[in-house]
Amino acid sequence: MKMHPRQAAPVSIDIPLISNQEVWLNIALIRQYHENMPRGEAERIAINALQRLGLENIAYKRNPDLTNEERFCAMLLRAAMVRDALIIIDRPFKIITHLKDVNYIFQAIEKIEDFYSSCHIYDYEWLKEKYGALCQ
Amino acid sequence: MTFLENIGRSTVKLIQSFAEIISFAGKVLYRICKPNTYNSATRTILVNQIYFTSVQILPAFITASVIFGSLLIGIVFQLLKNLGLTEFFGNVLMGLIVTELSPFFTVLLITLRSGSAISTEMAVMKVNREINALETFHIDVVNYLLVPRIINGIISLVLLSTLFSIVLMSGGILFSRVIFGMSIDVYSNILLNSTNFSDIVIALVKCACFGFFITLIPIRFGLRASHELTSIPIVVSRGMVSVFTAILIIEVLSLTTKLI
Repeated sequence: MKMHPRQAAPVSIDIPLISNQEVWLNIALIRQYHENMPRGEAERIAINALQRLGLENIAYKRNPDLTNEERFCAMLLRAAMVRDALIIIDRPFKIITHLKDVNYIFQAIEKIEDFYSSCHIYDYEWLKEKYGALCQ
Repeated sequence: MTFLENIGRSTVKLIQSFAEIISFAGKVLYRICKPNTYNSATRTILVNQIYFTSVQILPAFITASVIFGSLLIGIVFQLLKNLGLTEFFGNVLMGLIVTELSPFFTVLLITLRSGSAISTEMAVMKVNREINALETFHIDVVNYLLVPRIINGIISLVLLSTLFSIVLMSGGILFSRVIFGMSIDVYSNILLNSTNFSDIVIALVKCACFGFFITLIPIRFGLRASHELTSIPIVVSRGMVSVFTAILIIEVLSLTTKLI
């Protein structure tokens, strides 16, 4: 499959949410900017996406008010808003530091699988135990 | 020799900094004029910025305008009466207070409130790598962050300065009655006869220039922050000094235009 660089949609601790904007605006921004989608429609899509992960309550919160899980999901949804997104999750355990295994991350990815074309996780080899059977 | 070298070095640095700001201003102006700069995201930011700068400040701004404006008008009218220059009060009100003082008062208030906030906001975004995040998602920083803020600066300055002038002129109705025993009709006539169209145009252009530079310069300095927290106060204070220098330069240029 041929990839376009614009499809790359990273989820990384080094690519934070915009802290002076609410979560829904961080997610909606991608569609608003790239596709000139009207604010109302982009907001509805962002809220629906948050509802899929059971996180509609964080829509109007800002980055500093989020838990690590909420922050990860917001970053994941922002990445998923890229058209035909190639989601690249960079060291997820640096974002959700207390997770014991990768199940939470997989569940989140599965719930939004129709939003992206592919998803890849990159992490240190010495963390392979956390990925269980996937790395066997 | 060292003394001369230092003067030379400082002058070169100053000229370079000035040239950089002007070149940056040109780049931003070009983007402002390009239709494809604007999309749903930039419009959302523009509306939010206008709300933060022009609407949220209204109660404090109107209170300050009423108190300061009324006192000023009262003092000026009293002074004109004592000097026997009553017939010139329209020229003084329109030519000096409305077209010169209103933009200056407004720009000082907005700079104190929003200039430092914009500079800090940009510096914090730079330190937190949020600017990198925008670039990673192919969002143009100039279009998305700068253009809406600068347009907001221009719109807010023009609107708030006009509001200040309206408050001043309304205060003038009261003082003209108390001090000169003048009716509203006579007061309005004198004001209309003293209004010079070119003065109004110069005042509006000056407001637009103020609005442009008091947002552009803090943004420019905010974006110069490094990735360390300690760089934030340095860039903010340098930005604010540069903003006040720009305000003085624009004021001097406007006064020179009036003299010519």
